[in-house]
Amino acid sequence: MKHLIEYIFGFIIGLGNALFFLGEVLAHIVRGHVRIKEVLKQIYEQGIQSIVIIALTSFATGMVLALQGYLMLERFGAKEYVAHLVALSLVRELSPVFGALIFSGKAGAKMAAELGSMSVNDQVLATRTMGVDPVEFLIVPRMVAAFFVLPILVVLSEVLGIAGGYIVGISEANIPGSFYLNRTLAAVGYVDFFSGFIKTFFFAILIGWVCCYQGFKTRGGSLGVGRFTTRAVAFSYILIVLSNALLTKIILTLWG
Amino acid sequence: MIKVSGLYKAINGQDILQDINLEVEDGEILVILGQSGAGKSVLLQHLMGLRKPDKGNVVISGVDITNLSERDLLRVRKNIGYLFQEGALYDFMDVYENLAFPLEEHTDLNEGQISQRIKNVLQTVGLEGVEGKYPVELSGGMRKRVALARAVILNSKILFCDEPTSGLDPIRSRDISDLIRNLSKQLQCTTVVTSHDVANSFRIADRLALIHEGRLIAVGIQGEIASSKDPFVRQFFKN
Repeated sequence: MKHLIEYIFGFIIGLGNALFFLGEVLAHIVRGHVRIKEVLKQIYEQGIQSIVIIALTSFATGMVLALQGYLMLERFGAKEYVAHLVALSLVRELSPVFGALIFSGKAGAKMAAELGSMSVNDQVLATRTMGVDPVEFLIVPRMVAAFFVLPILVVLSEVLGIAGGYIVGISEANIPGSFYLNRTLAAVGYVDFFSGFIKTFFFAILIGWVCCYQGFKTRGGSLGVGRFTTRAVAFSYILIVLSNALLTKIILTLWG
Repeated sequence: MIKVSGLYKAINGQDILQDINLEVEDGEILVILGQSGAGKSVLLQHLMGLRKPDKGNVVISGVDITNLSERDLLRVRKNIGYLFQEGALYDFMDVYENLAFPLEEHTDLNEGQISQRIKNVLQTVGLEGVEGKYPVELSGGMRKRVALARAVILNSKILFCDEPTSGLDPIRSRDISDLIRNLSKQLQCTTVVTSHDVANSFRIADRLALIHEGRLIAVGIQGEIASSKDPFVRQFFKN
């Protein structure tokens, strides 16, 4: 019982500190304390870090979806609906969620490890001794960059996933290419696109927040860097999956 | 001038600093000596406003920094150079970028002036042609020199050095000690150095202080300290 109470207290204090940290970051952004040069550098690094793996997994996911969907739909004589299946699955759920998970595992882990290493090597403290706010210099650019990079990567993932489905559709299911594309465009309405796209902004904030916070509070030398980085990725995975369930419910209730 | 009055600090229930009273005159070099874990670095962090004391206060150039907000402290720290034990250079920046960073943050110098200032300061610390190297490509002694160059590049009138000779061989330790003394005198800095290296502390210091179990047990010039009757002081300097 004592351990449970201690755990709950620890959780509440930890959550409070993390929320305070997020508030500090948002206050900097609202006050316009955003270093554009650093943001552009982070956009480049985070984008380069994740683009290849997201492109490959999305393309392969689109192909697998089309292969499985085609086999199922053919039994009901509805193989031409494979374009609907691929496009809607990717746009509404798969690309935003898989994209966010991969982004967290690559760019998020990099953020946490970099900041963690800087924390244990006194570089964060050195920033303060030079009269510079480390949150403004190190955290804000990473979080702002994540906010822009993830949605772009998710759109790319959707396009490449549809391309993967298209290749299977025309080669395996013998669906004419122009027909497949027309079906795809007809299937994806703006509600479908934005219901998935909006989620990516929430995921980007979650990943940036969790990974930067864990990196920033890293202690305990190189062992600590490993521990806090692992924790950053695990927490952001859990939060992405849980918040996706909540966001999907809200979006379906509001938009149908 | 730096003035510390009645400073107390406990961490995790353990007394780290107890009733520290200290004054450092303008342009003076004070070396705080003590064993590992005696409280030297914690005291230095209080002088920099990186920690809040439980009791007492720290006055830097007439400003009581004890209760300043972090934002106000950032402004105060612009005028203080701080040399970390391991240098704490940004490892994602090369030497030039590390040295340019404080100048870009706190001055209106153009690129040419920044470049000239960096060249001059590297010359002063005896390192030329390393602008394009990353900290990981430098030896421990070179990293400390670059870190010292970064600490003084804004011509701050206050310099704090945390264990500057730690991890260096005897020759490099002596070199960095001489460099700190020469730079401090050249720039007329008020300097506080923490160390457990007695021999090199004598090379640097105008005055010495000895801290033991969180208390200042001796403060004075070399002769005064050396003639102390306190058994711990005698033992410390004998070793």
